[in-house]
Amino acid sequence: MIIKTKKGPVKLPLLDVRVVPIGQVQANNYNPNAVASNNMDLLEESILSNGFCFAIVTVWDPDSEKYIIVDGFHRYLIFRDYLEAKELPIIVLEHDISQRMAATVQFNRARGVHQVELMGDLVQALVQQGVDDEDIAQRLGMEAEEVFRLKQITGIAELFKNQLYSKAWEMQEVPDDI
Amino acid sequence: MLRQVYINKTVLDAARERVSYVFDEFDNIIVSVSGGKDSTVLAHLALSEAHRRERRIGVFFLDEEVVYDSTIKQIEYILSLYPKNTIPLWIQMEFALTNATSLIESQLICWEAGKHKIWMRPKQANSIKFPPWDRKKETIRDKNKGFGFYDALDNFQNSRENTAFLVGLRATESPNRWRAVSKNPGYKDVFWCTKMKHGNVSMYPLYDWNFHDIWKYIYDNQLKYSNIYDYMYKKGMGLQEIRVSSLIHEKSFKALVELPEFEPKTYNRLLKRIKGISIGNLYGKDSKMLRVSKLPKNFKTWIAYRDFLLATYPDPERKPIFEKRFVRHLNNRYVARQQCRQLVLNDYENNLPVDNKPDPREAMIEKWRALL
Repeated sequence: MIIKTKKGPVKLPLLDVRVVPIGQVQANNYNPNAVASNNMDLLEESILSNGFCFAIVTVWDPDSEKYIIVDGFHRYLIFRDYLEAKELPIIVLEHDISQRMAATVQFNRARGVHQVELMGDLVQALVQQGVDDEDIAQRLGMEAEEVFRLKQITGIAELFKNQLYSKAWEMQEVPDDI
Repeated sequence: MLRQVYINKTVLDAARERVSYVFDEFDNIIVSVSGGKDSTVLAHLALSEAHRRERRIGVFFLDEEVVYDSTIKQIEYILSLYPKNTIPLWIQMEFALTNATSLIESQLICWEAGKHKIWMRPKQANSIKFPPWDRKKETIRDKNKGFGFYDALDNFQNSRENTAFLVGLRATESPNRWRAVSKNPGYKDVFWCTKMKHGNVSMYPLYDWNFHDIWKYIYDNQLKYSNIYDYMYKKGMGLQEIRVSSLIHEKSFKALVELPEFEPKTYNRLLKRIKGISIGNLYGKDSKMLRVSKLPKNFKTWIAYRDFLLATYPDPERKPIFEKRFVRHLNNRYVARQQCRQLVLNDYENNLPVDNKPDPREAMIEKWRALL
């Protein structure tokens, strides 16, 4: 099945998901993507609370008789090592090696970043819905301090309000023997 | 001997007295603003005094085009504080800026004619759009670099006479510059200033202010300040490191790493404006790329990496600049690392000078060899 677009038909490999034994899936040897441990915990949290929403993207390698991962290596790791699952949902592309490498980078890099101000608003909204700080930190994969900083809507000038002004000084000629 | 002596006043009282003194002594006063916190405080002090005395002073902003939107909002705010006492001197004219993020497009001519469709924003209605000085007398510090920020500054100042230029320089922030300016009185018996041409004086009424004094003043007077400070604070960054000036020169490109999170629209416009922006965004803080603090794994030494970078440097016109400069340097790993940094950041202007001395690591190895 395809969907027609202004720039031609777009294939829908996501409709052909299959669930395979996790042992038949293998990492590729070129993935430059690294996920820090705090974000691995967040990924686990995401899979547990949202379910596995996107299949792992692979190609079939006839030599090793394995599915080689193009995208989703860290989700695969969560399933294999954190959750010790026996099976994994995958889709299989018909890509040669250069297409696979390009696809890996495309999947990793074509993404956005969160605007700080709007993240602040989002945290505010969660607070107003009655979610406590610890829970926010856990669900959004933040340190307690990040939640605190995002909650501070007062701005930095406020932090200095109770300071006293420093003593003034001047450059003066003084005798050398002091 | 010249020494720093504490006097029995707060920095605020002292600064008010200094500003008042400037108003007594000078008919023409111009306060230079950058959009940062220090110049906001200084402009507020000076404009309040102008308001009290029913006088008008210039507010000078040399607009580098490639700056945060928050900086522009801040300048508009400062100009709106006491409009009746303000002479806006917002300069939007062509000059060259260093672009440290690209080897191909190493300079940006801000406000370049014919490129108005990709300018970061349209020019202000009330700005000065052409050089307000005699072009025949125009000076330039270094012809190789082209007419730059400091040339625009010099020429603007030289076009005035008997004018006090108020600048938000603070000793704790820039100790080296402070030491240089405070050696001699620049006007009468005043040490906190520098003498310039045509009776002009650059004056620093906030020289003894500390970081927290600035913020307290902003809080006490409920002044607005650039959003960038709050953004950076929310990201857990040191407030001391934040700069509000050009986003692309060799000391500020790191700001590109966070820019899409702070001001996505500014980032998008910058992407279209000049090459190298996404490199600054992706690798601005990367130790093996733009920070040049770690040697990439395929090179054995900094010397080998330097030779490779030089051999593959893509701009044939500028390559001899590096070759001539490096011939005069010592050939050791310590120097080579700094040369790599110049090549990676395309610093043909030599804004990040090389500390040309024997490798301190080799001296230490020698010392221990002798001992063992």
